[in-house]
Amino acid sequence: MRLLLVEDETLLRESLTAQLKKAGFAVDAAGNGSEGFYFGTEYPVDLAIVDLGLPDMPGITLISRLRDAGREFPVLVLTARDRWQDKVAALQAGADDYVVKPFHIEEVLARVNALLRRAAGWAQAVLRCGPIELDTSRQAVEVAGVEVELTGFEYRVLECLMLRAGEVVSKAELTDRLYDQDFERDSNVIEVFIGRLRRKLDPHDELQPIETLRGRGYRFALDRTADRT
Amino acid sequence: MPSSLSARLLLSVSLVLALFFGLTVVALDRLFREAGERAMQSVLEVHLIALLAAAEGDGSRGLRMPAQLPEERFSQPGSGLYGQIRDASGEIVWRSASSAGAQLAEGPVLAPGDREVVRLAMLDDIPVMALALGIEWEFADGSMRRFEFDVAQSLDLYHAQVERFRRQLFIWFLGLMLLLLTSLALLLRWILRPLRRIETEIAAVEAGSRAELGGGYPSELTGVTENMNALIRDERARLLRYRNTLGNLAHSLKTPLAVMRSALQAGQPDLAAFDTQIARMDAIVGSQLRRAATSAGTTLGHAPVAVAAVIEELRGALDKVYADKQPRCLTETDGNAVYYGDREDLTDLIGNLLDNAYKWSRSTVRITAQAEEMGRRRRGLRLAVEDDGPGIRPADAQRVLARGARVDEQAEGHGIGLAVVKEIVELAGGSLTLGVSPLGGARIELSIPPR
Repeated sequence: MRLLLVEDETLLRESLTAQLKKAGFAVDAAGNGSEGFYFGTEYPVDLAIVDLGLPDMPGITLISRLRDAGREFPVLVLTARDRWQDKVAALQAGADDYVVKPFHIEEVLARVNALLRRAAGWAQAVLRCGPIELDTSRQAVEVAGVEVELTGFEYRVLECLMLRAGEVVSKAELTDRLYDQDFERDSNVIEVFIGRLRRKLDPHDELQPIETLRGRGYRFALDRTADRT
Repeated sequence: MPSSLSARLLLSVSLVLALFFGLTVVALDRLFREAGERAMQSVLEVHLIALLAAAEGDGSRGLRMPAQLPEERFSQPGSGLYGQIRDASGEIVWRSASSAGAQLAEGPVLAPGDREVVRLAMLDDIPVMALALGIEWEFADGSMRRFEFDVAQSLDLYHAQVERFRRQLFIWFLGLMLLLLTSLALLLRWILRPLRRIETEIAAVEAGSRAELGGGYPSELTGVTENMNALIRDERARLLRYRNTLGNLAHSLKTPLAVMRSALQAGQPDLAAFDTQIARMDAIVGSQLRRAATSAGTTLGHAPVAVAAVIEELRGALDKVYADKQPRCLTETDGNAVYYGDREDLTDLIGNLLDNAYKWSRSTVRITAQAEEMGRRRRGLRLAVEDDGPGIRPADAQRVLARGARVDEQAEGHGIGLAVVKEIVELAGGSLTLGVSPLGGARIELSIPPR
C-alpha cells in the first residue's frame, strides 16, 4: 500500500517514514502542502497522512484541494491542536480520521490499517477468505487458526490482494502500491514475494489462494467470508 | 468634516445662526424702510395742505403765493423741500424758490380730487419722493378753475437713516453671534470635561499609575465607564490566569523532565517509563492550556450558541470516525437549548462526551439537550449523554469526581475525556452527575447555568 505523508517537521517526517516503511508501506514523504498536493495528484496514493500545521498552506486547505481534484483516498490527519472544533473542521474538509500529537506509532498504524480496509469495503478488522484470516489491527495472518509468520513486505502484498479479493491486481499496480518513487522497479521481485507467500500460506498446495493470470496479474481466489459493507 | 466634537458643533451652530440672522436683518430692513416711507408721505401731505392754505386767488383768475411762506425751506434753494402749482394747461403758476428752476411734475395735469405719490423721482439728479393733488379752485366771482399742487422732498436724509440703521443692525447681530458662540464654546468645554477626564484616566491606566477609571461621572457616561472597568478587570484576570498557567505549566513539566533526566544519568533508560512521562507531560499541557484559554468566567458577552447545531456537526464527524461501528445516535434536542459561552468550549464538552459514548457503546448512543429554568434572567442548559456500553467503573467515577482531580492523573477509559468535561463544567459554574442509563450503559448529565 502506498502512503503519502505530508509533515513539515523533518525529524518527525523521517522517523514516521522509517516506521511506516518498516510496517511494509511504500511512503512518499512531502515537507509542505504544495509538494503534498503534487504527490497526491500525480502518484497512485492509497492513503494520505496530513499534518494540519503546514508552513505554506493549512492542512485543511490541502485536504479540500485534494478532494476538489477528485482524489477519494482516505486521509488521516495529524494535529497538535486537540480541541474538537479543529477535529470537526478537518473531518468536514474531507479527512476521515485524526490522531492527536504526540502519538504512538502503533496508534497511527492502527488508524491507517483501519482506513485502508474500510476504503476497500471491509467492515471488520479481520479479513476472512476461507481458512485464511488477515487481522488488520494486529497485522497478523492465520491459516485455519494457526498463525503464519510473514515479513512486513509479505504482509503488505497479501493485504493488497486480500483487500481486493476476487479482483485481478496487475503486477504494475502492485509495484505502484508497494514501492515509492525512489525504488528501482523490478517486477521479478513481486514474483519472488508471491512465491514465498504461496509457500508460507499453502505449503502443501491444497488451497491455491493466489492465482496467476498470465499477462494480467494476480487474483486472490478464495471467497470473502466476512460481511462486506 | 472636522474631527473634534466641539468644532463640529461650533461650525454647525455658526452656519445656522448666520442663516437665521441674515433672514432677520432682511426682514427688519424691509420693515424699517416701509415705516420710513409712510412717515415721509404724511410729512408731504402736511406741506401740501400748508401750500393750499397759503395760496390766494387773484382777480385775473390766477393763484398767488405770499412771498413769505410758513415753511421756510420752500424759500431756501437746495433745502430739499420743493413746491409747484400748475394750471389745467400744464403751465407753471408758481414754483418755490428752493427748486431753483427745476420742474417738479410734467405731463397731463391730474383731475380734481386725484392724488399721486411717486416714491422715487429724480429732480436735477436728486432722488426725491413726490406728492401731487389735483384741485378745483373757486374764485371770488364764483368761477371754477383746475390746478395741480406738487410737493417733493429729497430722499437723501431718509437714505442716510436707512444706512445708519443697517449698520447698527449688523454690528448688533455680529456682536450677539460672537457672544453666543463664545458662550457655547465655554459650555462645551464644561460639558465635554468628563470625556477628557476619561481620556486622561485611560492613559493613566495604560501607564499603570491607576488601577481603573474613577467614579462620579455623569449618568450618561457611567455605562461606558463601568463597562470599561469591567473590561479592564477582565483583562487583568485573564493576564493573571495566563501567568498562573505558565507558572503551573513550567512547574509541573519539570517533574517529568527531572524523572527522565535522572533515568538518563542512571545510564539505564527504561523506554516504557519515558513514554509514561511523555504522556503525563502531554496531559499537563492540554489541561493547563484549556484552563487558560477557556472563556468561562469572563464578563464579556457571548452570542448564544445553538446546541443542536453543535451536536449535528459532531455527529457528522464521529459517524465518520466510528464508521466501522456505526452506532445509532438518538438525538433529542430542544430548539431553545443554547449555551451562553464560547462555541469551542461547548464543542469540546459535547465532543468528549459523545466520543466516549461512541467508543463504549455496543450499538446505541443517546444525547438529550434542553433549556432549563434556573431562576435567572436567561435559561441554563441541561445535557445528558448515554450509551449501552459497559458503564463507568466505580473506581474511574470516583477518580473523576474527586475534588481537585487533574486530567493528568486520570486513567484510560471514560476517564480522560470525562475529566476534561468536568474541568469545563466547573469553570462554567455547572455540575456533573454520573449514573446508569436505561440503555444499560453510562449516563452523564450536565447542568450549566446561564451567564
